[in-house]
Amino acid sequence: MLKNYILTAWKVFLRRKFFTFINLFGISLTLMVLMVTSTIADGYFYPSGPEKNTDNMLMIQRLVVTNDEQNYTFTGGLGYKFIQDNVKRLQTPEMMSINSGARSTSIFHEGVKRTLLVKKTDANFWKILDFEFVDGRGFDDNEWTNGEFVAVINAQTQEQLYGGNSAIGQKLSFGNQTFTIIGVVQNVSAIEEVSLSDIWVPYTTNATNDYKQEIGGEWGVILYHSNPEILKDANKEYINLLKNDLKLDAEATYSKAFSGAFNKLELLSREVFWEEYSYKTYVGLFISVITGMVFIFMLLPSINMINLNVSRVMERSSEIGVRRAFGASKAQLLMQFIIETILITLVGGVIGMLLSIFMLNSIEASGIIPYMQFSFNHRVFLVGLALILIFGIISGAYPAYKMSRLSPVAALKGAI
Amino acid sequence: MLTLQNVSKSFQTDRIETIALSDINLHIDKGEFVSVMGPSGCGKSTLLNIMGLLDEPSDGTVAIDQKAIESYQDKHITGLRNSKIGFIFQSFHLIHDLKVIDNVELPLLYRSGSTPKISSKERRQMATAALEKVGLSARIHHYPTQLSGGQQQRVAIARAIVSQPEILLADEPTGNLDSHMGDEIMKLLEDLHTQDNVTIVMVTHDDQMAKRTQRIIRVFDGQLIA
Repeated sequence: MLKNYILTAWKVFLRRKFFTFINLFGISLTLMVLMVTSTIADGYFYPSGPEKNTDNMLMIQRLVVTNDEQNYTFTGGLGYKFIQDNVKRLQTPEMMSINSGARSTSIFHEGVKRTLLVKKTDANFWKILDFEFVDGRGFDDNEWTNGEFVAVINAQTQEQLYGGNSAIGQKLSFGNQTFTIIGVVQNVSAIEEVSLSDIWVPYTTNATNDYKQEIGGEWGVILYHSNPEILKDANKEYINLLKNDLKLDAEATYSKAFSGAFNKLELLSREVFWEEYSYKTYVGLFISVITGMVFIFMLLPSINMINLNVSRVMERSSEIGVRRAFGASKAQLLMQFIIETILITLVGGVIGMLLSIFMLNSIEASGIIPYMQFSFNHRVFLVGLALILIFGIISGAYPAYKMSRLSPVAALKGAI
Repeated sequence: MLTLQNVSKSFQTDRIETIALSDINLHIDKGEFVSVMGPSGCGKSTLLNIMGLLDEPSDGTVAIDQKAIESYQDKHITGLRNSKIGFIFQSFHLIHDLKVIDNVELPLLYRSGSTPKISSKERRQMATAALEKVGLSARIHHYPTQLSGGQQQRVAIARAIVSQPEILLADEPTGNLDSHMGDEIMKLLEDLHTQDNVTIVMVTHDDQMAKRTQRIIRVFDGQLIA
């Protein structure tokens, strides 16, 4: 029987090419958009590069400091002094890394000017993050403490500056300083924003010590614990410290600080629902909004498909009447229509998947997201499969239900 | 073979109740060829639908082979429709997406209950045999729209007889055809009746056709008048 349902469905699709085309177009396009976004989201929440142990890390990236009246406010990255006076006192993390944002820096090399990202970090940075070294190593505690002029570069920079040759031991000059390259790492995808850069140097090589006096600045902190469960308490400890035991500058310009140690989801949610004087992450709201958006995005083409399917059921009411007259039960017809919808959604799904692979490759090749490398992994595949199924059920159930309520006589008359 | 006892059928709309059939008592013997006549809207088709278990009477009982239909639930009547009854419609009602042979095979797909399932090879053989009977074995791979009206009705007849039903219910089978084609279809029904001893109930407007059957049942305003 199943074989026959599939065969009938196949024949119907072939005989109604335009309908089939419109249907497939809607399904595959919707799925493609969802697959591309979910792949990017997957890359963000489950990184495959240096941030792959994302559960063991919390990031402190933003700081808001203000006075009692909240009319004098700084918003931005953390200052080094603020980190030393406050963040460093946290007991929960096993390890911390202080690092600057990646800054575009002009580098003259063999007479050619290049703009590359430079990030200043400490030695813990290389311990916490799981960089894949092509060559050499990261800088160690000694090199960092002593402010040695050493640098790690990525593979792309090695290729650009030194062609096919190894960069280890080469000199690299920028900002009136010359660094010796001691390590080369694989390119880091731009969605791993904490690790992203082209060049990494110890922040102790800074030309001046002015940064050590700053409350707000260009710095971020990674908190690390080998046990993700324990790490979860770090944010509570941090907020408690900010509320009750805050140390700010002696001039007392600022009196309150708002910040948080967040995971990837919380970071993103904070970016979207930014509220200055708050410790909240709004993760619940964020997830609801995203779910709602995905639902609405799926709903529109589904309604379209329901519409198409219902009008097609009406068009085929004579067929339904005939089948009923010759002994088809409601259940059998329901099955036939559901299989037709599932089949077309599956075909649309496969096309959608192929389209998404094509789109993702195009995005990768275009360099819109630097160094982004998409992996079509099982998680995304399962999400895709689930989406296809939901889509099929949403768009197939209503017409099938409507069809099953037809009486054979009404169906033969074409009256629904 | 087929008995209707005190059968009434009314349709309820928002404001009015329309009585389509009123207190019909009717018996059709095995092997009879009966025609049902009457003006448009008198309830002929409703009567045929009730005989074919496509519609449920508001009152009264229908019995097939002396067995009264007790429930019109799907699972009770689909098997009966499938094994006992074949339908022929005025407008053929072939499925345009399916080839002639697939249209004819259709009733065999829905075999269920006590009747054993039929393999696809057997189905094909039975459908081909039915098409041979109606003289269309050369057209099995055509689509219905590629055939003339008379040929389409012959396909519909092949579909109606493929599962060898005991009763054929034909609702104005020649109504959409010219007299020549109508005559061919009528001959075909007569052959089925004489050769295979099939019980046939045919609704018609055509006196000439009706006279060729064994008995004429006349319906007027939902009641039998002769």
